[in-house]
Amino acid sequence: MGRATQFAILAARLALADAGLQPRDVAPARAGVTIGTTSGEPKVVERLQDSRAAGGPDDDALRELAAAYPSHLIPARVASDVGFRGPALTIPTACAAGNHAIAHAVDLLRAERADIVLAGGADAFSRITFTGFARLGAIAPDTCRPFDRHRKGMVPGEGSAMLVLETAAGAARRGARIYAEVAGCGLSCDAFHMTGGEPSGAGAVRAMEAALSDAGLTPDAVSYISAHGTGTPANDRLEALAIARVFGDRARRIPVSSIKSMLGHAMGAASAIEAAVCALATTEHRIPPTLHYDTPDPDCDLDCVPNEARELHVRVAMNNAYGFGGNNASVLFREWRS
Amino acid sequence: MGRKAVITGAGLVSPLGDSPAALHDALCAGRSTSGAVDLDPKKYFGARNIRPLDRTAQLVTAASSLALADSGWSDDDRRRHDVGLVVGTVFSSVRTICEFDRRMLAVGPEYVSPLDFANTVLNAAAGQAAIWHGLRGPNLTIAAGAASGLQAIAHAAGMIAAGSCDVVLAGGADELSPESAAALERLGLACSSSSRPVPFGGGRDGFAPGEGAAFVMLEAEDLAERRRAAVRAVVRGFATGCGDEARVVAGALTDAGVLPQEIDAVSASASGSVEVDAREARALDAALCARGHTVPVIAVKACVGETLGAAGALQLIALLEAARTGVLPGVPRLGAVGVETARLDLRAGARAVDIRTALVSSIGWDGNCCALIVSPLPAAATGRPGYDAQG
Repeated sequence: MGRATQFAILAARLALADAGLQPRDVAPARAGVTIGTTSGEPKVVERLQDSRAAGGPDDDALRELAAAYPSHLIPARVASDVGFRGPALTIPTACAAGNHAIAHAVDLLRAERADIVLAGGADAFSRITFTGFARLGAIAPDTCRPFDRHRKGMVPGEGSAMLVLETAAGAARRGARIYAEVAGCGLSCDAFHMTGGEPSGAGAVRAMEAALSDAGLTPDAVSYISAHGTGTPANDRLEALAIARVFGDRARRIPVSSIKSMLGHAMGAASAIEAAVCALATTEHRIPPTLHYDTPDPDCDLDCVPNEARELHVRVAMNNAYGFGGNNASVLFREWRS
Repeated sequence: MGRKAVITGAGLVSPLGDSPAALHDALCAGRSTSGAVDLDPKKYFGARNIRPLDRTAQLVTAASSLALADSGWSDDDRRRHDVGLVVGTVFSSVRTICEFDRRMLAVGPEYVSPLDFANTVLNAAAGQAAIWHGLRGPNLTIAAGAASGLQAIAHAAGMIAAGSCDVVLAGGADELSPESAAALERLGLACSSSSRPVPFGGGRDGFAPGEGAAFVMLEAEDLAERRRAAVRAVVRGFATGCGDEARVVAGALTDAGVLPQEIDAVSASASGSVEVDAREARALDAALCARGHTVPVIAVKACVGETLGAAGALQLIALLEAARTGVLPGVPRLGAVGVETARLDLRAGARAVDIRTALVSSIGWDGNCCALIVSPLPAAATGRPGYDAQG
């Protein structure tokens, strides 16, 4: 089993334990798994190419390409590990994938196609990903400084986060502790460029507005934004522009931070990890900072919570994610009040 | 379900042709040509630069282009209305990622192309097709094993029901790369090179790895009505799961509010796989209340091979064409059937059918499964569909 699959299984077990879910709480056929990833298990490809370079390809490496590479195997193995038998699928939509997986889980719950869904993302570090971003000139020479005037790129990372999502009625029935409500989701595509955002930020704007509309909220309701904030010059400038277009004058007063300044960019897992942070922000009422922030950039005229965590009553947190292929996905988390 | 999703067009590229009618003719004639699709650049892409598109992206772009044209969603309409795209795939472009890594080892990381890197991500084809066609709605790639294509269609119907989007191109694609073909063979899933696959057949020994792409246009019923589009079928309901395929097929019937005896035909995912075909036969028979022997079944993979991500959409399109023409293709080379598969109504040759409501089932070897219930509609004489019609 590949590294991303291992991450996902471990995160799923931790999430179920944290949720206090007992086997009796779960009807397996009504329990699903949705996972976002950028690359799935690229190390399988690396092993195949290594074996070819060494005079192969050897049979094991080729066999693995069918037995471990296809990305649907990640949720299939998570489902098998935790005993879920409902919908299990991967939504591999690059670095917006975690949010896409959460949005799909919400659809499944709203349509009553599942009672419980483990939703999140997983990606494993690989030489293919590192080389690709290096060739795009997107990797920071030293560290990741989102929204800073001297930002020079991102730092590739890895990991997994899984959220336990269930209907409010189901959670109430089993007396679960509730972190937050997933209030709304919005998805869009730039249809403009594979690796660069549309220069007006229109796609990101449509995703944020669709999420607000899905939640029945106005921009005024948002207390905190967890930015995609990769630390590349282009991403952060465009995201700041899109936030300004959605929030108008309030854009400079809403705290916006990027935890990629601390964790690096975990690709398809990133927005799932950030979703967990958003949910916690509505419970703990404390928001994480943007680390390594030193010099303001007039092109990113935001309150990006420089360098220190902040106490803040978070009623609604917005989680933004953007990815290759022009994907934009925003998800809103609302403070839970029973 | 919430808002009803209807099908207003279809497009495909396959070794058996690139239109629903050509596919249907080939299936009825029992012609079997699994393997590479002939993708004539001039025919599908005109004078536009296709260099950024790898083979999977070309398959997706070509088939989605045909589906857009068939449903009457013009370039101009798409500029004014966000159209979504959901692509089901198993391998994405494993050839591109292998080639990227091979070049890096051969010539060094400083010399690989960033353009090629963009195509190594698993959703590259969906992104490229969105750019090509200007599809600004939700853009998703779905990986659910051999059930990916049908699951993509179910997913799109779900998004329409939920109201997150009102028009979505959905289906899937997989290319037959040397890597994926060899991998499937090493896993023991491919049939022997000297034989042709016989879905549900007694002596079956695996599937024929193939390639293709197929998409249907799904729209909210009210939008299709406003556009005066020709509605080919109504999606009645669906279910998905991982393991326990009988429950999933039965779940689709329940979701659709359709009784087992209302099912007039089944478009099965049977591919010639020893184990999975038997599982599918048992699941179908159980969900149809042991009436499996009374419901005609087609298995397109006998002719077109296992096209993975494309398969579910090809099964659906073949079924809709059978409903339109009243002729259901057979399963060529079907001799003696297996013990489990004897529960189904299978024939080697084509036959007349009257399909009002039908079931499409898709079951992967890793446990992913999806079932979809559709009611094909007779071709209605409508005006030329167009976005302007809604005014």
